Amino acid sequence: MENGIRIRLENFISFLSSYSKKHNTYAPVQTDETLDYDYINDLNAGAVVLNVPKPVTPLKLFFLPVKENVTLDDPQEPGSLIVGVPSCDLNALDILDEIYLKEPFVDPVYQKRRANTILIGTDCYGHQEHCHCTTYGSNPYPERNFDISLSAFADHLYLIPASEKGSNLIDEMKGTVSDFEELTELPNGITSRRESAVTELQKLNSKLPDYERTGELIRNVNNGIWDKYSRGCVSCGGCATICPTCSCFLLIDKPGFEKVRQMDACQYPGFARVAGGEDPLHIRSDRFRNRYMCKYVWKPQKFEAVACTGCGRCIETCIAEINKNEMFAELAET
Amino acid sequence: MQVSNNNNIYRPLKAEVTDIIDESPLIKTFVLKPEHDFSFRTGEFIELTVDGVGEAPFTPSSSPLKKDELEVTIMKTGYVTDILHNIDTGFTLGIRGPYGRGYPLDKLYGKEVIIISGGCGFAPIRSLMLNMIAEKEKFKKVTLCYGAKTPEECIYKPFVNEVRQVQGFDVFRSVDHKDDSWDEYEGVVTGLLDTLTFNLEDTVAVVCGPPVMMKYGTYKLIEMGFRDEDIYLSMEKNMSCGCGKCGHCMMGEYFVCKDGPVFSYDEIKHLPDIWN
Repeated sequence: MENGIRIRLENFISFLSSYSKKHNTYAPVQTDETLDYDYINDLNAGAVVLNVPKPVTPLKLFFLPVKENVTLDDPQEPGSLIVGVPSCDLNALDILDEIYLKEPFVDPVYQKRRANTILIGTDCYGHQEHCHCTTYGSNPYPERNFDISLSAFADHLYLIPASEKGSNLIDEMKGTVSDFEELTELPNGITSRRESAVTELQKLNSKLPDYERTGELIRNVNNGIWDKYSRGCVSCGGCATICPTCSCFLLIDKPGFEKVRQMDACQYPGFARVAGGEDPLHIRSDRFRNRYMCKYVWKPQKFEAVACTGCGRCIETCIAEINKNEMFAELAET
Repeated sequence: MQVSNNNNIYRPLKAEVTDIIDESPLIKTFVLKPEHDFSFRTGEFIELTVDGVGEAPFTPSSSPLKKDELEVTIMKTGYVTDILHNIDTGFTLGIRGPYGRGYPLDKLYGKEVIIISGGCGFAPIRSLMLNMIAEKEKFKKVTLCYGAKTPEECIYKPFVNEVRQVQGFDVFRSVDHKDDSWDEYEGVVTGLLDTLTFNLEDTVAVVCGPPVMMKYGTYKLIEMGFRDEDIYLSMEKNMSCGCGKCGHCMMGEYFVCKDGPVFSYDEIKHLPDIWN
């Protein structure tokens, strides 16, 4: 708990407001219909919502934008502060870092952005309809891949650094906010809130098989279940776009030997097509199956990391109302 | 390891096309001179860029011992390759790489090697054979069985003649449909295997060609008694980034671009649809 502090919510907001004048700052803001990350300035800093699950868009979009030139010699990445990141998004960095930061093929833009970004992770008090992080082995509060964890209790925020970047930011906060206390431990109120969030999530998903079991189930299932659940799929790729761990892309050539990376999805027809026209994933239900094999069998086998962090966004976004959790619960029953 | 230009994995090195050789009506070999030395191991592949148009993966067909130039043999079969077939010498292309895991030479040393290849799949095999010829004392015997649709579509004719002169190396060829000029085998390439004998305990097989040939070639080798771990296959998928990120070449838990493109059959036989 070294260098942790307790500060009043309004002091944190005024810090964000002044910090945002010098640095790109993002935090969840509630609009009429949605809660999502927004660019913060002194006008909207007061609308920041903390400890509520969860921003509509995944964290990955800060590091892997939908479309960008990846061949610039010296990409400028001034760095950002991102506040209010839920654990499902933080945990997704396990897979993204494996893919984008591993030697010898380090992605230069991703690396620079990761290095220059400060992540403040937050507890989720409560849950959304399709949240299921606990089923897949994690908890609804920051566990890894963050610089500072932030938990609210009563009128105060409890900030605990987990990295040098986080520690430096807390030092900066101490320099501008007079009214803070050094923290020795988290109050019981936060611990019990965490416990009840976990209990609620477990109750909500009591019929859902865990991550490993899901992998076993889908590895051995016949085609019937994929046909049944993919029937309404229109191959829009929404599930992949909004998934915090999906990161497949297309490289598009531009004159001057430049290349633009554009987000792609294995649900699009033609994703796996090779020269000459052969396409191992030309059947929709095969693409649908591919998504879950990738998440629950192949990626964990390859990276020893969880490729579905249980955020539930793919269920929320699907225009065909395909609910993978219903599918897996059905599989577990049969 | 050189992976790209200016330490950016996505930016290609420029390479000038210094010669273009017609191999068959649909296949040409392009001789490339990169802007600086470029080394690769046999069986590793490169991404070849047509500026502003597109990029496609190819395994060089030249000897990996040559550092100042490389050759790429390309069949006209899609968007990028159609354009490549219309360029002239002097044209500047881009190359990225080398990528992937090439041929496991250490597993071939001291052995008899049987190679089954078809069509443009001869390209990586030519590189492998050039590498093996350069250290021919390390192999007991090397036999290539190569198949094409017609005599006209057989590629690397001068190279085949050269290989036939090398002690310990042999080439048998088949065509689906022969003409008057053909005095070698007629039929599918796997039919050639019935005419040969192997010491199974001491022989390793390498297969590279169109998917249907890979499939039946592998089945034939297994039927003949080859062990799954002694059959090496070049899996060609839609390798786009080349470095295990874009996801287009995923085959089960493997990124073919990084974990392959050369796999032993033992490593991939559990996966469905590998021949598609």
